[in-house]
Amino acid sequence: MTRGGVRRRLAKALIPASATAVLALWAFPIFWAIVVALKSESEVLAFPPSLVFKPTLANFGDSLVGRFSILPEMWTSLVISSVATLLTIVLAVPASYAFARLRLPAGKFLGFYVLATQMLPPVGLVIPYFLILNRVGWLDTYQGMITVYLTFSLPFAIWLMVSFMEDIPREMEEAAAIDRASRLKTLWYIILPQVRGGIAVTVVFVFLNCWDEFLFAVQLSGNHVRPVTVAMYNFVSVEQTLWAKLSAASLIAMVPVIAIGFAAQRHIVKGLTVGAVKGGGRR
Amino acid sequence: MKAANQTRGELLKDERFFAALLVAPGLLVLLVTTTAPLVYLLWTSLHHANLSMPWMNGFVGLDHYVHMLGDGRFWDALRLTAIYTVTTVVLQLVIGLGLALLVLQIPLGQWLFRLVAILPIVLAPVVVGLYWRTLMLSPSFGLFDVFTTQVFGKSYNWLGEPTLALISVILIHTWQWTAFAFLVLLASLASIPPDLYEAARIDRAGVIDRFRHITLPLIRPAIMIVIIMRAMVALSAFAAIYAATGGGPGTATQILNLYAYQTSFVALDFGYGSAQAIALLIVTLAVSAALFRLRRRGGLA
Repeated sequence: MTRGGVRRRLAKALIPASATAVLALWAFPIFWAIVVALKSESEVLAFPPSLVFKPTLANFGDSLVGRFSILPEMWTSLVISSVATLLTIVLAVPASYAFARLRLPAGKFLGFYVLATQMLPPVGLVIPYFLILNRVGWLDTYQGMITVYLTFSLPFAIWLMVSFMEDIPREMEEAAAIDRASRLKTLWYIILPQVRGGIAVTVVFVFLNCWDEFLFAVQLSGNHVRPVTVAMYNFVSVEQTLWAKLSAASLIAMVPVIAIGFAAQRHIVKGLTVGAVKGGGRR
Repeated sequence: MKAANQTRGELLKDERFFAALLVAPGLLVLLVTTTAPLVYLLWTSLHHANLSMPWMNGFVGLDHYVHMLGDGRFWDALRLTAIYTVTTVVLQLVIGLGLALLVLQIPLGQWLFRLVAILPIVLAPVVVGLYWRTLMLSPSFGLFDVFTTQVFGKSYNWLGEPTLALISVILIHTWQWTAFAFLVLLASLASIPPDLYEAARIDRAGVIDRFRHITLPLIRPAIMIVIIMRAMVALSAFAAIYAATGGGPGTATQILNLYAYQTSFVALDFGYGSAQAIALLIVTLAVSAALFRLRRRGGLA
Protein backbone atom coordinates (compact mmCIF):
# COMPACT_ATOMS: atom_id res chain seq x y z
CA MET A 1 0.00 0.00 0.00
CA THR A 2 1.28 3.47 -0.83
CA ARG A 3 1.91 6.10 1.79
CA GLY A 4 -0.88 8.22 0.35
CA GLY A 5 -3.26 5.29 0.73
CA VAL A 6 -2.42 4.93 4.39
CA ARG A 7 -2.88 8.60 4.96
CA ARG A 8 -6.21 8.60 3.18
CA ARG A 9 -7.41 5.67 5.26
CA LEU A 10 -6.28 7.37 8.43
CA ALA A 11 -8.08 10.56 7.43
CA LYS A 12 -11.19 8.54 6.64
CA ALA A 13 -11.24 7.12 10.14
CA LEU A 14 -10.17 10.34 11.83
CA ILE A 15 -12.80 12.61 10.33
CA PRO A 16 -15.90 10.87 11.70
CA ALA A 17 -14.11 10.30 15.00
CA SER A 18 -13.22 13.95 15.52
CA ALA A 19 -16.61 15.15 14.32
CA THR A 20 -18.30 12.80 16.75
CA ALA A 21 -16.04 14.01 19.55
CA VAL A 22 -16.98 17.64 18.88
CA LEU A 23 -20.64 16.66 18.71
CA ALA A 24 -20.47 14.83 22.02
CA LEU A 25 -18.70 17.75 23.66
CA TRP A 26 -21.34 20.12 22.30
CA ALA A 27 -24.26 18.04 23.47
CA PHE A 28 -22.72 17.45 26.88
CA PRO A 29 -24.33 20.35 28.80
CA ILE A 30 -27.77 19.12 27.75
CA PHE A 31 -26.87 15.53 28.54
CA TRP A 32 -25.61 16.70 31.93
CA ALA A 33 -28.84 18.57 32.62
CA ILE A 34 -30.74 15.32 32.01
CA VAL A 35 -28.36 13.43 34.33
CA VAL A 36 -28.71 16.03 37.09
CA ALA A 37 -32.49 16.03 36.71
CA LEU A 38 -32.46 12.30 37.50
CA LYS A 39 -30.48 12.76 40.73
CA SER A 40 -31.63 13.55 44.22
CA GLU A 41 -30.64 17.00 45.49
CA SER A 42 -28.08 15.55 47.91
CA GLU A 43 -26.57 13.45 45.14
CA VAL A 44 -26.12 16.64 43.06
CA LEU A 45 -23.85 18.10 45.72
CA ALA A 46 -21.61 15.02 45.87
CA PHE A 47 -18.01 15.78 45.03
CA PRO A 48 -16.72 14.77 42.58
CA PRO A 49 -20.03 14.48 40.68
CA SER A 50 -21.21 10.89 40.52
CA LEU A 51 -22.02 9.20 37.27
CA VAL A 52 -23.29 6.04 38.91
CA PHE A 53 -26.33 6.68 41.07
CA LYS A 54 -29.86 5.53 41.61
CA PRO A 55 -31.95 7.58 39.16
CA THR A 56 -35.18 9.10 40.40
CA LEU A 57 -38.11 10.61 38.57
CA ALA A 58 -39.15 12.57 41.65
CA ASN A 59 -37.85 15.87 40.23
CA PHE A 60 -39.92 15.52 37.11
CA GLY A 61 -42.93 14.64 39.24
CA ASP A 62 -42.40 17.70 41.43
CA SER A 63 -42.02 19.96 38.40
CA LEU A 64 -45.24 18.69 36.87
CA VAL A 65 -47.70 18.22 39.71
CA GLY A 66 -45.77 18.79 42.94
CA ARG A 67 -44.73 21.82 44.93
CA PHE A 68 -42.64 23.15 42.03
CA SER A 69 -45.23 22.63 39.31
CA ILE A 70 -44.53 24.76 36.27
CA LEU A 71 -47.69 23.72 34.46
CA PRO A 72 -49.48 27.02 35.26
CA GLU A 73 -46.59 29.00 33.75
CA MET A 74 -46.50 26.69 30.73
CA TRP A 75 -50.21 27.29 30.25
CA THR A 76 -49.58 31.06 30.36
CA SER A 77 -46.83 30.76 27.77
CA LEU A 78 -49.07 28.56 25.65
CA VAL A 79 -51.89 31.13 25.67
CA ILE A 80 -49.62 34.09 24.88
CA SER A 81 -47.62 32.28 22.22
CA SER A 82 -50.66 30.72 20.54
CA VAL A 83 -52.70 33.91 20.31
CA ALA A 84 -49.68 35.93 19.18
CA THR A 85 -48.90 33.29 16.54
CA LEU A 86 -52.50 33.20 15.32
CA LEU A 87 -52.69 37.00 14.98
CA THR A 88 -49.30 37.06 13.29
CA ILE A 89 -50.34 34.49 10.68
CA VAL A 90 -53.67 36.18 9.96
CA LEU A 91 -51.87 39.49 9.33
CA ALA A 92 -48.72 38.14 7.64
CA VAL A 93 -50.14 35.73 5.07
CA PRO A 94 -52.20 38.23 3.03
CA ALA A 95 -49.45 40.86 3.32
CA SER A 96 -46.77 38.45 2.12
CA TYR A 97 -48.92 37.49 -0.88
CA ALA A 98 -49.18 41.13 -1.88
CA PHE A 99 -45.43 41.66 -1.41
CA ALA A 100 -44.46 38.53 -3.34
CA ARG A 101 -46.97 38.48 -6.16
CA LEU A 102 -49.00 41.64 -6.70
CA ARG A 103 -48.16 45.07 -8.05
CA LEU A 104 -48.15 46.91 -4.75
CA PRO A 105 -47.84 50.71 -4.81
CA ALA A 106 -44.51 51.66 -3.17
CA GLY A 107 -43.94 47.94 -2.60
CA LYS A 108 -40.18 48.22 -2.39
CA PHE A 109 -40.30 50.97 0.19
CA LEU A 110 -42.93 49.16 2.27
CA GLY A 111 -40.92 45.94 2.15
CA PHE A 112 -37.90 47.84 3.40
CA TYR A 113 -40.02 49.36 6.15
CA VAL A 114 -41.04 45.89 7.37
CA LEU A 115 -37.37 44.92 7.34
CA ALA A 116 -36.31 48.05 9.21
CA THR A 117 -38.79 47.46 12.04
CA GLN A 118 -36.71 44.38 12.85
CA MET A 119 -33.56 46.45 13.38
CA LEU A 120 -34.88 48.08 16.54
CA PRO A 121 -33.07 46.49 19.53
CA PRO A 122 -35.55 44.94 22.00
CA VAL A 123 -34.32 47.20 24.79
CA GLY A 124 -35.43 50.14 22.64
CA LEU A 125 -38.94 48.69 22.71
CA VAL A 126 -39.14 47.51 26.30
CA ILE A 127 -38.53 51.05 27.65
CA PRO A 128 -41.38 52.79 25.80
CA TYR A 129 -43.64 49.76 26.23
CA PHE A 130 -43.13 49.80 29.97
CA LEU A 131 -44.17 53.46 30.11
CA ILE A 132 -47.07 53.06 27.66
CA LEU A 133 -48.49 49.82 29.09
CA ASN A 134 -48.16 51.28 32.57
CA ARG A 135 -50.27 54.25 31.50
CA VAL A 136 -53.02 52.20 29.84
CA GLY A 137 -53.02 49.56 32.59
CA TRP A 138 -51.84 46.73 30.35
CA LEU A 139 -48.72 45.81 32.34
CA ASP A 140 -48.82 42.19 33.45
CA THR A 141 -51.76 41.33 31.18
CA TYR A 142 -52.23 38.87 28.36
CA GLN A 143 -53.26 41.55 25.86
CA GLY A 144 -50.12 43.56 26.70
CA MET A 145 -47.77 40.63 26.20
CA ILE A 146 -49.48 39.54 22.96
CA THR A 147 -49.22 43.08 21.57
CA VAL A 148 -45.53 43.25 22.40
CA TYR A 149 -44.83 39.85 20.85
CA LEU A 150 -46.33 41.06 17.56
CA THR A 151 -43.44 43.54 17.27
CA PHE A 152 -40.91 40.83 16.46
CA SER A 153 -43.21 38.08 15.16
CA LEU A 154 -44.94 40.05 12.44
CA PRO A 155 -41.95 41.34 10.41
CA PHE A 156 -40.29 37.94 10.70
CA ALA A 157 -43.42 36.08 9.58
CA ILE A 158 -44.05 38.43 6.65
CA TRP A 159 -40.56 37.89 5.27
CA LEU A 160 -40.58 34.16 5.85
CA MET A 161 -43.97 33.85 4.14
CA VAL A 162 -42.78 35.99 1.21
CA SER A 163 -40.07 33.40 0.53
CA PHE A 164 -42.68 30.62 0.46
CA MET A 165 -45.05 32.66 -1.72
CA GLU A 166 -42.27 33.21 -4.23
CA ASP A 167 -41.91 29.42 -4.62
CA ILE A 168 -45.44 28.97 -5.98
CA PRO A 169 -45.47 28.50 -9.76
CA ARG A 170 -47.00 31.52 -11.46
CA GLU A 171 -49.12 29.46 -13.85
CA MET A 172 -51.49 28.70 -11.00
CA GLU A 173 -52.62 32.29 -10.74
CA GLU A 174 -52.69 32.91 -14.46
CA ALA A 175 -55.09 30.01 -14.89
CA ALA A 176 -57.24 31.52 -12.20
CA ALA A 177 -57.16 34.98 -13.79
CA ILE A 178 -58.48 33.59 -17.08
CA ASP A 179 -61.34 32.03 -15.21
CA ARG A 180 -62.05 35.47 -13.82
CA ALA A 181 -62.23 34.07 -10.34
CA SER A 182 -62.23 36.98 -7.98
CA ARG A 183 -58.87 37.86 -6.46
CA LEU A 184 -59.86 36.96 -2.96
CA LYS A 185 -61.06 33.57 -4.15
CA THR A 186 -57.71 33.08 -5.90
CA LEU A 187 -55.90 33.77 -2.67
CA TRP A 188 -58.15 31.51 -0.65
CA TYR A 189 -58.65 28.53 -2.94
CA ILE A 190 -55.48 28.51 -5.02
CA ILE A 191 -52.67 30.22 -3.12
CA LEU A 192 -53.41 29.16 0.44
CA PRO A 193 -53.45 25.39 -0.25
CA GLN A 194 -50.09 25.83 -2.01
CA VAL A 195 -48.41 27.48 0.98
CA ARG A 196 -49.89 25.31 3.72
CA GLY A 197 -46.44 23.85 4.40
CA GLY A 198 -44.91 27.33 4.52
CA ILE A 199 -47.55 28.49 6.97
CA ALA A 200 -46.82 25.49 9.20
CA VAL A 201 -43.10 26.32 9.22
CA THR A 202 -43.85 29.97 9.99
CA VAL A 203 -46.14 28.93 12.85
CA VAL A 204 -43.33 26.80 14.30
CA PHE A 205 -40.77 29.60 14.26
CA VAL A 206 -43.07 32.33 15.51
CA PHE A 207 -44.32 30.11 18.33
CA LEU A 208 -40.76 29.13 19.24
CA ASN A 209 -39.58 32.74 19.40
CA CYS A 210 -42.55 33.72 21.58
CA TRP A 211 -42.10 30.75 23.93
CA ASP A 212 -38.38 31.48 24.44
CA GLU A 213 -38.70 35.27 24.83
CA PHE A 214 -37.41 36.66 28.13
CA LEU A 215 -36.69 40.42 28.18
CA PHE A 216 -40.27 41.58 27.53
CA ALA A 217 -41.65 38.80 29.70
CA VAL A 218 -39.56 39.65 32.76
CA GLN A 219 -40.09 43.40 32.54
CA LEU A 220 -43.66 43.73 31.29
CA SER A 221 -45.25 40.80 33.10
CA GLY A 222 -44.40 38.42 35.93
CA ASN A 223 -47.09 38.40 38.62
CA HIS A 224 -50.57 37.66 37.27
CA VAL A 225 -49.21 36.67 33.91
CA ARG A 226 -46.00 34.71 34.30
CA PRO A 227 -44.48 33.08 31.20
CA VAL A 228 -42.34 30.00 31.69
CA THR A 229 -39.01 31.79 31.00
CA VAL A 230 -39.65 34.16 33.91
CA ALA A 231 -40.58 31.23 36.13
CA MET A 232 -37.26 29.55 35.33
CA TYR A 233 -35.33 32.72 36.14
CA ASN A 234 -37.18 33.23 39.42
CA PHE A 235 -36.56 29.63 40.33
CA VAL A 236 -32.79 30.15 40.42
CA SER A 237 -33.03 33.46 42.28
CA VAL A 238 -35.26 31.94 44.96
CA GLU A 239 -34.21 28.28 45.11
CA GLN A 240 -30.49 28.83 44.49
CA THR A 241 -29.28 25.34 45.22
CA LEU A 242 -32.06 23.09 43.93
CA TRP A 243 -30.24 22.14 40.74
CA ALA A 244 -32.02 18.85 40.19
CA LYS A 245 -35.39 20.59 40.37
CA LEU A 246 -34.15 23.36 38.07
CA SER A 247 -32.87 20.85 35.53
CA ALA A 248 -36.08 18.83 35.55
CA ALA A 249 -38.34 21.89 35.37
CA SER A 250 -36.37 23.54 32.58
CA LEU A 251 -36.26 20.34 30.55
CA ILE A 252 -40.04 20.07 30.82
CA ALA A 253 -40.38 23.75 29.95
CA MET A 254 -38.28 23.24 26.83
CA VAL A 255 -40.06 20.08 25.64
CA PRO A 256 -42.53 21.98 23.42
CA VAL A 257 -39.83 23.92 21.55
CA ILE A 258 -37.55 20.91 21.24
CA ALA A 259 -40.44 18.88 19.85
CA ILE A 260 -41.50 21.42 17.25
CA GLY A 261 -37.86 22.20 16.44
CA PHE A 262 -37.27 18.55 15.60
CA ALA A 263 -40.55 18.37 13.69
CA ALA A 264 -39.47 21.32 11.53
CA GLN A 265 -35.82 20.26 11.26
CA ARG A 266 -35.85 20.03 7.46
CA HIS A 267 -36.85 23.69 7.29
CA ILE A 268 -34.71 25.01 10.10
CA VAL A 269 -32.03 26.50 7.83
CA LYS A 270 -34.63 28.33 5.78
CA GLY A 271 -36.41 29.58 8.87
CA LEU A 272 -33.17 30.75 10.43
CA THR A 273 -31.66 32.43 7.40
CA VAL A 274 -34.74 34.16 6.04
CA GLY A 275 -35.15 35.71 9.43
CA ALA A 276 -31.41 36.26 9.23
CA VAL A 277 -31.08 38.21 6.05
CA LYS A 278 -34.21 40.16 6.62
CA GLY A 279 -33.91 40.88 10.29
CA GLY A 280 -34.06 37.92 12.61
CA GLY A 281 -35.61 36.70 15.81
CA ARG A 282 -35.51 38.48 19.08
CA ARG A 283 -33.48 36.13 21.18
CA MET B 1 -59.10 47.76 -29.01
CA LYS B 2 -59.82 50.76 -26.89
CA ALA B 3 -62.13 48.75 -24.68
CA ALA B 4 -59.44 46.10 -24.21
CA ASN B 5 -56.95 48.75 -23.10
CA GLN B 6 -59.41 50.16 -20.68
CA THR B 7 -60.13 46.84 -19.03
CA ARG B 8 -56.43 46.19 -18.80
CA GLY B 9 -55.86 49.50 -17.06
CA GLU B 10 -58.76 48.82 -14.78
CA LEU B 11 -57.46 45.37 -13.95
CA LEU B 12 -54.10 46.87 -13.00
CA LYS B 13 -55.75 49.48 -10.84
CA ASP B 14 -57.85 46.77 -9.32
CA GLU B 15 -54.76 44.70 -8.54
CA ARG B 16 -53.01 47.62 -6.89
CA PHE B 17 -56.02 48.37 -4.74
CA PHE B 18 -56.35 44.73 -3.74
CA ALA B 19 -52.63 44.53 -2.88
CA ALA B 20 -52.85 47.65 -0.73
CA LEU B 21 -55.87 46.16 1.02
CA LEU B 22 -53.95 42.99 1.84
CA VAL B 23 -50.90 44.71 3.37
CA ALA B 24 -52.82 47.47 5.15
CA PRO B 25 -53.77 45.59 8.35
CA GLY B 26 -50.27 44.20 8.89
CA LEU B 27 -48.57 47.52 8.19
CA LEU B 28 -50.98 49.39 10.44
CA VAL B 29 -50.22 47.00 13.28
CA LEU B 30 -46.48 47.43 12.68
CA LEU B 31 -46.85 51.20 12.61
CA VAL B 32 -48.69 51.18 15.94
CA THR B 33 -46.62 48.50 17.70
CA THR B 34 -43.10 49.36 16.54
CA THR B 35 -42.86 52.83 14.99
CA ALA B 36 -45.01 54.62 17.55
CA PRO B 37 -42.99 53.24 20.50
CA LEU B 38 -39.79 54.22 18.67
CA VAL B 39 -41.02 57.79 18.37
CA TYR B 40 -41.95 57.70 22.05
CA LEU B 41 -38.47 56.39 22.89
CA LEU B 42 -36.90 59.28 20.99
CA TRP B 43 -39.21 61.73 22.76
CA THR B 44 -38.35 60.22 26.16
CA SER B 45 -34.62 60.47 25.40
CA LEU B 46 -35.05 64.26 25.10
CA HIS B 47 -36.71 64.49 28.50
CA HIS B 48 -35.83 64.09 32.09
CA ALA B 49 -37.91 61.04 32.93
CA ASN B 50 -36.72 59.63 36.22
CA LEU B 51 -39.18 57.63 38.32
CA SER B 52 -37.12 58.18 41.44
CA MET B 53 -37.05 61.96 40.93
CA PRO B 54 -40.36 62.74 39.19
CA TRP B 55 -40.30 66.41 40.22
CA MET B 56 -37.35 66.96 37.89
CA ASN B 57 -39.19 65.70 34.81
CA GLY B 58 -39.31 67.95 31.77
CA PHE B 59 -37.78 68.70 28.41
CA VAL B 60 -33.97 68.72 28.45
CA GLY B 61 -33.12 68.62 24.74
CA LEU B 62 -29.90 66.82 23.95
CA ASP B 63 -28.61 66.86 27.54
CA HIS B 64 -28.68 63.06 27.87
CA TYR B 65 -26.66 62.65 24.70
CA VAL B 66 -24.09 65.20 25.81
CA HIS B 67 -23.89 63.47 29.18
CA MET B 68 -23.46 60.12 27.42
CA LEU B 69 -20.35 61.32 25.55
CA GLY B 70 -18.67 62.06 28.87
CA ASP B 71 -19.92 58.92 30.63
CA GLY B 72 -17.06 56.48 31.15
CA ARG B 73 -19.45 53.61 31.77
CA PHE B 74 -21.11 54.21 28.41
CA TRP B 75 -17.80 53.92 26.57
CA ASP B 76 -16.94 50.89 28.62
CA ALA B 77 -20.27 49.28 27.69
CA LEU B 78 -19.64 50.12 24.04
CA ARG B 79 -16.18 48.54 24.24
CA LEU B 80 -17.65 45.40 25.82
CA THR B 81 -20.33 45.31 23.12
CA ALA B 82 -17.63 45.39 20.44
CA ILE B 83 -15.57 42.66 22.13
CA TYR B 84 -18.63 40.49 22.72
CA THR B 85 -19.95 40.87 19.17
CA VAL B 86 -16.68 40.37 17.33
CA THR B 87 -15.47 37.40 19.38
CA THR B 88 -18.79 35.53 19.38
CA VAL B 89 -19.30 36.01 15.64
CA VAL B 90 -15.73 34.97 14.76
CA LEU B 91 -15.85 31.93 17.06
CA GLN B 92 -19.20 30.78 15.70
CA LEU B 93 -18.01 31.20 12.14
CA VAL B 94 -14.68 29.42 12.57
CA ILE B 95 -15.98 26.52 14.67
CA GLY B 96 -19.16 26.21 12.62
CA LEU B 97 -17.26 26.13 9.33
CA GLY B 98 -14.70 23.67 10.64
CA LEU B 99 -17.39 21.35 11.92
CA ALA B 100 -19.39 21.65 8.69
CA LEU B 101 -16.32 20.74 6.61
CA LEU B 102 -15.75 17.69 8.83
CA VAL B 103 -19.34 16.50 8.79
CA LEU B 104 -19.51 16.93 5.02
CA GLN B 105 -16.88 14.18 4.70
CA ILE B 106 -19.04 11.74 6.61
CA PRO B 107 -21.13 9.67 4.22
CA LEU B 108 -23.65 8.40 6.78
CA GLY B 109 -25.44 9.82 9.78
CA GLN B 110 -25.31 13.53 8.91
CA TRP B 111 -28.90 13.73 10.13
CA LEU B 112 -27.71 12.94 13.66
CA PHE B 113 -25.42 15.98 13.62
CA ARG B 114 -28.23 18.15 12.33
CA LEU B 115 -30.56 16.89 15.03
CA VAL B 116 -28.11 17.55 17.86
CA ALA B 117 -27.28 20.97 16.39
CA ILE B 118 -30.92 22.01 16.63
CA LEU B 119 -31.00 21.43 20.40
CA PRO B 120 -29.09 24.47 21.69
CA ILE B 121 -30.73 26.70 19.07
CA VAL B 122 -34.29 26.00 20.22
CA LEU B 123 -33.56 26.40 23.93
CA ALA B 124 -34.54 29.68 25.55
CA PRO B 125 -31.38 31.77 26.10
CA VAL B 126 -32.43 32.42 29.68
CA VAL B 127 -32.45 28.67 30.34
CA VAL B 128 -29.06 28.35 28.67
CA GLY B 129 -27.69 31.11 30.88
CA LEU B 130 -29.07 29.38 33.98
CA TYR B 131 -27.63 25.98 32.99
CA TRP B 132 -24.18 27.45 32.63
CA ARG B 133 -24.42 29.53 35.77
CA THR B 134 -25.31 26.48 37.84
CA LEU B 135 -24.42 23.12 36.31
CA MET B 136 -21.38 24.20 34.28
CA LEU B 137 -19.60 27.17 35.83
CA SER B 138 -20.64 27.24 39.46
CA PRO B 139 -17.63 27.13 41.83
CA SER B 140 -16.86 23.69 43.32
CA PHE B 141 -19.85 21.86 41.86
CA GLY B 142 -20.02 23.07 38.26
CA LEU B 143 -18.52 20.66 35.73
CA PHE B 144 -15.97 23.19 34.48
CA ASP B 145 -14.71 23.79 37.96
CA VAL B 146 -14.62 20.10 38.77
CA PHE B 147 -12.55 19.64 35.62
CA THR B 148 -10.08 22.42 36.38
CA THR B 149 -9.76 21.29 39.99
CA GLN B 150 -8.96 17.74 38.93
CA VAL B 151 -6.64 18.60 36.05
CA PHE B 152 -4.98 21.83 37.12
CA GLY B 153 -5.53 21.49 40.84
CA LYS B 154 -7.10 24.94 40.93
CA SER B 155 -10.64 26.23 41.29
CA TYR B 156 -11.70 29.24 39.23
CA ASN B 157 -14.45 31.69 39.98
CA TRP B 158 -15.73 31.67 36.41
CA LEU B 159 -18.57 34.14 36.84
CA GLY B 160 -17.13 36.12 39.75
CA GLU B 161 -13.86 37.35 38.27
CA PRO B 162 -14.18 40.14 35.63
CA THR B 163 -12.07 38.69 32.80
CA LEU B 164 -13.25 35.13 33.35
CA ALA B 165 -16.86 36.33 33.47
CA LEU B 166 -16.49 38.04 30.11
CA ILE B 167 -14.91 34.90 28.66
CA SER B 168 -17.74 32.87 30.18
CA VAL B 169 -20.59 34.86 28.63
CA ILE B 170 -18.79 34.76 25.26
CA LEU B 171 -18.43 31.00 25.67
CA ILE B 172 -22.13 30.61 26.55
CA HIS B 173 -23.26 32.58 23.50
CA THR B 174 -20.88 30.65 21.28
CA TRP B 175 -22.12 27.34 22.64
CA GLN B 176 -25.74 28.19 21.93
CA TRP B 177 -25.37 29.65 18.45
CA THR B 178 -22.44 27.93 16.72
CA ALA B 179 -24.92 25.28 15.59
CA PHE B 180 -26.63 28.00 13.56
CA ALA B 181 -23.46 28.75 11.58
CA PHE B 182 -22.84 25.01 11.29
CA LEU B 183 -26.30 24.30 9.82
CA VAL B 184 -26.27 27.21 7.40
CA LEU B 185 -22.73 26.51 6.16
CA LEU B 186 -23.35 22.75 5.92
CA ALA B 187 -26.37 23.41 3.70
CA SER B 188 -24.31 25.78 1.57
CA LEU B 189 -21.37 23.35 1.30
CA ALA B 190 -23.67 20.48 0.39
CA SER B 191 -25.03 22.44 -2.55
CA ILE B 192 -21.62 22.76 -4.26
CA PRO B 193 -21.58 20.48 -7.33
CA PRO B 194 -18.97 17.71 -6.81
CA ASP B 195 -17.68 17.91 -10.42
CA LEU B 196 -16.08 21.25 -9.54
CA TYR B 197 -13.81 19.40 -7.15
CA GLU B 198 -13.21 16.66 -9.72
CA ALA B 199 -11.92 19.23 -12.18
CA ALA B 200 -9.65 20.71 -9.52
CA ARG B 201 -8.32 17.27 -8.63
CA ILE B 202 -7.45 16.62 -12.26
CA ASP B 203 -5.60 19.94 -12.23
CA ARG B 204 -3.74 18.59 -9.17
CA ALA B 205 -4.88 21.42 -6.96
CA GLY B 206 -4.06 20.86 -3.28
CA VAL B 207 -6.58 20.73 -0.46
CA ILE B 208 -5.85 24.29 0.60
CA ASP B 209 -6.00 25.62 -2.95
CA ARG B 210 -9.30 23.86 -3.53
CA PHE B 211 -10.69 25.37 -0.35
CA ARG B 212 -9.49 28.88 -1.20
CA HIS B 213 -10.43 28.95 -4.86
CA ILE B 214 -13.54 26.78 -5.03
CA THR B 215 -15.17 26.33 -1.65
CA LEU B 216 -14.68 29.77 -0.16
CA PRO B 217 -16.01 31.83 -3.10
CA LEU B 218 -19.06 29.57 -3.39
CA ILE B 219 -20.04 29.72 0.27
CA ARG B 220 -19.24 33.43 0.58
CA PRO B 221 -22.94 34.43 0.50
CA ALA B 222 -23.72 31.98 3.30
CA ILE B 223 -20.79 33.28 5.34
CA MET B 224 -22.04 36.85 4.95
CA ILE B 225 -25.53 35.78 6.04
CA VAL B 226 -24.07 34.19 9.15
CA ILE B 227 -21.98 37.27 9.96
CA ILE B 228 -24.85 39.73 9.46
CA MET B 229 -27.40 37.73 11.39
CA ARG B 230 -25.16 36.76 14.29
CA ALA B 231 -23.78 40.30 14.64
CA MET B 232 -27.30 41.73 14.86
CA VAL B 233 -28.29 39.23 17.55
CA ALA B 234 -25.04 39.60 19.52
CA LEU B 235 -25.42 43.39 19.60
CA SER B 236 -28.69 43.06 21.48
CA ALA B 237 -27.99 39.87 23.43
CA PHE B 238 -29.71 39.95 26.77
CA ALA B 239 -31.26 36.90 28.41
CA ALA B 240 -28.24 34.57 28.64
CA ILE B 241 -25.94 37.27 30.06
CA TYR B 242 -28.65 38.52 32.41
CA ALA B 243 -29.25 35.00 33.71
CA ALA B 244 -25.58 34.06 34.00
CA THR B 245 -23.98 37.20 35.45
CA GLY B 246 -26.60 39.96 35.47
CA GLY B 247 -23.96 42.15 33.82
CA GLY B 248 -21.50 41.61 36.65
CA PRO B 249 -19.30 41.21 38.49
CA GLY B 250 -19.55 44.99 38.78
CA THR B 251 -20.01 46.01 35.16
CA ALA B 252 -17.61 43.44 33.68
CA THR B 253 -20.19 41.88 31.33
CA GLN B 254 -22.50 44.85 30.97
CA ILE B 255 -22.76 45.35 27.23
CA LEU B 256 -24.59 48.48 26.05
CA ASN B 257 -27.87 46.58 25.84
CA LEU B 258 -27.70 45.67 29.53
CA TYR B 259 -26.49 49.13 30.52
CA ALA B 260 -29.53 50.74 28.88
CA TYR B 261 -31.73 48.21 30.64
CA GLN B 262 -30.06 48.79 33.99
CA THR B 263 -30.24 52.59 33.67
CA SER B 264 -33.96 52.40 32.92
CA PHE B 265 -35.25 49.63 35.15
CA VAL B 266 -32.83 49.59 38.07
CA ALA B 267 -31.75 53.24 38.31
CA LEU B 268 -35.23 54.21 36.99
CA ASP B 269 -33.69 56.92 34.78
CA PHE B 270 -35.84 56.32 31.70
CA GLY B 271 -34.65 59.47 29.95
CA TYR B 272 -30.99 58.54 29.97
CA GLY B 273 -31.81 54.86 29.38
CA SER B 274 -33.77 55.85 26.28
CA ALA B 275 -30.82 57.85 24.98
CA GLN B 276 -28.61 54.77 25.44
CA ALA B 277 -31.14 52.62 23.60
CA ILE B 278 -31.11 55.12 20.74
CA ALA B 279 -27.30 54.94 20.74
CA LEU B 280 -27.53 51.13 20.50
CA LEU B 281 -29.99 51.50 17.62
CA ILE B 282 -27.57 53.79 15.79
CA VAL B 283 -24.70 51.34 16.36
CA THR B 284 -26.90 48.47 15.08
CA LEU B 285 -27.88 50.41 11.96
CA ALA B 286 -24.27 51.43 11.28
CA VAL B 287 -22.96 47.89 11.66
CA SER B 288 -25.69 46.40 9.47
CA ALA B 289 -25.18 49.09 6.81
CA ALA B 290 -21.44 48.38 6.78
CA LEU B 291 -21.99 44.61 6.56
CA PHE B 292 -24.59 44.89 3.80
CA ARG B 293 -22.24 47.11 1.82
CA LEU B 294 -19.44 44.59 2.33
CA ARG B 295 -21.73 41.85 1.07
CA ARG B 296 -22.75 43.78 -2.05
CA ARG B 297 -19.13 44.45 -2.89
CA GLY B 298 -18.36 40.78 -2.35
CA GLY B 299 -15.50 41.76 -0.12
CA LEU B 300 -14.10 39.86 2.84
CA ALA B 301 -14.83 36.18 3.29
